[in-house]
Amino acid sequence: MDIFANLAHGFVVALSPINLLMCLIGALVGTLVGVLPGIGTIATVAMLLPITFGLPPVGALIMLAGIYYGAQYGGSTTSILVNIPGEATSVVTALDGHQMARQGRAGPALAIAAIGSFFAGCVATVLIAVLGAPLTKLALAFGPAEYFSLMVLGLIFATVLAKGSILKAIAMIVFGLLLSMVGSDIETGASRMAFNIPELADGLGFATVAMGVFGFAEIIRNLDAGAEMSRDLVQQKITGLMPTRKDLKDSFPAIVRGTILGSILGILPGGGAVIASFAAYTLEKKIAKDPSRFGRGAIEGVAAPESANNAAAQTSFIPLLTLGIPPNAVMALMVGAMTIHGIVPGPQVMVKQPDLVWGMIASMWIGNLMLIIINLPLVGIWVRLLRVPYRLMFPSIVIFCAIGIYSVNNAPVDVVLAGAFGLLGYWLIKHDFEPAPLLLGMVLGPLMEENLRRALLISRGDWSVFVSRPLSAVLLAIAAGLLVLAVLPSLRAKRDEVFVESEG
Amino acid sequence: MSDTPSEAPVRSILPKWVRGPQDFVGGLAMVAVALFALWASSDLQGMHGFSFGAGTAPRMFAVLLLLLGGVIALMGILNDGPHIGTYAWRGPLFVSAAIVFFALAIRPLGLVVTAFASFLIAALGSVETKWLEAVIVGACLTAGCAVLFPYILGLPMPMFPRFLIQ
Repeated sequence: MDIFANLAHGFVVALSPINLLMCLIGALVGTLVGVLPGIGTIATVAMLLPITFGLPPVGALIMLAGIYYGAQYGGSTTSILVNIPGEATSVVTALDGHQMARQGRAGPALAIAAIGSFFAGCVATVLIAVLGAPLTKLALAFGPAEYFSLMVLGLIFATVLAKGSILKAIAMIVFGLLLSMVGSDIETGASRMAFNIPELADGLGFATVAMGVFGFAEIIRNLDAGAEMSRDLVQQKITGLMPTRKDLKDSFPAIVRGTILGSILGILPGGGAVIASFAAYTLEKKIAKDPSRFGRGAIEGVAAPESANNAAAQTSFIPLLTLGIPPNAVMALMVGAMTIHGIVPGPQVMVKQPDLVWGMIASMWIGNLMLIIINLPLVGIWVRLLRVPYRLMFPSIVIFCAIGIYSVNNAPVDVVLAGAFGLLGYWLIKHDFEPAPLLLGMVLGPLMEENLRRALLISRGDWSVFVSRPLSAVLLAIAAGLLVLAVLPSLRAKRDEVFVESEG
Repeated sequence: MSDTPSEAPVRSILPKWVRGPQDFVGGLAMVAVALFALWASSDLQGMHGFSFGAGTAPRMFAVLLLLLGGVIALMGILNDGPHIGTYAWRGPLFVSAAIVFFALAIRPLGLVVTAFASFLIAALGSVETKWLEAVIVGACLTAGCAVLFPYILGLPMPMFPRFLIQ
């Protein structure tokens, strides 16, 4: 079997000392970020992008991937123990997880979260390996028109699944597309909207914008609320990590359901870990025999969302690796990382860079194994970290970001630009605009323009090419259908319901 | 997750017929961005024949944003919506100041001085900062960065003030 040969090759790559170290660092940093509230995955990956400069590409991507799924583990720890979700993906875990902790069952809750995550991680790893090759073949059959339509579909998916106003999310995407136009035109070389500023001639740096909108803006926003977030630390001893046999029996079906749901939502563009955990929790509550148990320490309420977010975090690599299209903002940053290392994401990556792809896939499984070890026995250390006050954390993050951005091009202008984008991001938050779609638009902008241009050039200016080619027409039809469905009042209400769950 | 809308009655400078100030102003701002982009890309070549010029795509996206912004602003007039949240000045001011200082100082003053000073400027952004603690942590962080970036990660950057090295 090809898959086994590929996976074996991947493990050889992933098990080299340097890559093992990168994987461990990624998992550790991810857990750290997951535990600490007030600093998100996107900001961290953006912050560490410049650092990966000096590393070999495989190691760099293994580390960044580790941060993403590691954060899903870390987020659950604080959700359960102190009722503070360190990550948006663990918001629903807090509902039942913290109740379990209050009933003195913190140990089993943590264990189930970790076991569920590990199970989901294993399944997702296999899924990536299995789906990788066929999807790549499909991608090779894509022409420019299909690519363009697929990206439209992806962006629409992203807005429909995002929370908040769809209209505003689309506006953010278009804003991002516009931002991506700054710099030199690929085909004519003409300088666009750069105002003769030499630093803009190459376009706005992706890391710069991401760090501004997610790093700096988040800090400024957090300072609004007062640096001292209320952290009622329950410093209880965690005794008896092992779940009982009944716990395992109760949670196993939930883990399986969460994994399946998470895997599907992860592959879909615009999905990702946040929506997966919400959806999994809602599903568990819907099908439970006694829904009133939820919110009072039901173990399924921990098992399902934790499996789902981890599965989704991993399967969202599938569209990135096979089609070269990032399904969410973190994956958009991974594109940035690949570009920094001179790798153009897309179907050819699978063929030309087998070390990279299979090494990364194998490292995910290894990373998950590491995470179980990092999280369960060391849980006390992570909880103690919560005592680091935000008043010391935020200046550190500011400096770290500033050095990081400066080091990308050794350009002070970049630092100022990131600061400006920070203020922009703060403004966007105040007006309820989501910054994630902006980032997605910015990454996809050049790709969309290129494919649109090519498609129209091939069709000799005939716009109907997008609907006359069957595959492209289907993709666009799905996009249009989604948009209509999302605006329909009945589905809107359901969609809002999913998000309201978190505030409960 | 979402920002809590401010409970206090906000005195709005906007006319009464604007029922959702947050959307209204947000939409108008998007319109302004779109108009700016249209102006900025006005000197670029458009379509010639059926192939795109350098200015085609930017103008296309700008017009799209113009329309979307317009609709959002219109929704702000027609639907009741949240007020514009209050802006804090302290955090944004000092964090920005720290960033700008960093950008200006990194070349002439080097990483060690710049990082430490920026840390303290950023720390001004919170009223809860305790200075002794901030100085200690700032010094440790600076030392850490001075080792991490140039030596472990191999990213070249000036370490000490230029006038000291010469």
